[in-house]
Amino acid sequence: MEAVLWYVLTSTRGGANRIRILKALDERPRNANKLSENLDLDYKTVRHHLDVLADNDIVVDSGDDYGAVYLPSDRVRNYWDTVEEIMEAAE
Amino acid sequence: MVGWIDVARVAVALNMALLVVLVAVWGRNYVQIRSKHTLGLLLFGVFLFGENAFALYFYLLDPLLADWFSTAVPDPAWQAMVVLHVLETVGLAVLAWVTWD
Repeated sequence: MEAVLWYVLTSTRGGANRIRILKALDERPRNANKLSENLDLDYKTVRHHLDVLADNDIVVDSGDDYGAVYLPSDRVRNYWDTVEEIMEAAE
Repeated sequence: MVGWIDVARVAVALNMALLVVLVAVWGRNYVQIRSKHTLGLLLFGVFLFGENAFALYFYLLDPLLADWFSTAVPDPAWQAMVVLHVLETVGLAVLAWVTWD
């Protein structure tokens, strides 16, 4: 999981924005629309990042409809010290 | 007439192009995220680019070696070299594909 977190969040083209998304979801679970507004990112871009994060079991969604709210997964909670280390490096 | 050396040259040039993409992504990320991980990948990309640049130089420009490689090396030896270069191209293409996300 540490290796996945480092790669997906720091070593890919969309990594920096995925860090912002994960940070926002840690503060408060939200849907793609809200993330797009709050982070000033294109809705489609946010959807893509959420798909990548969900595919790697970093976030989970509350349901499968369009208004689904996303939050950090239980698995990523167990590695939150790594996430914090990444967020600090990105500041 | 396209010889095995030309296939090797193209594969090495493709490796260099893929590594330019990877180094650009990792370099930009390193500016934003100064972590050991981003720096490590950046250095890895730079050195692998160097390896391929040397290979292309030997195959194409070096006054002594380029001539020797294109005239004096038998096909079976080139076929073996091409396998190495092409496998590296496929590996780098996969890495670029996951990194471009």
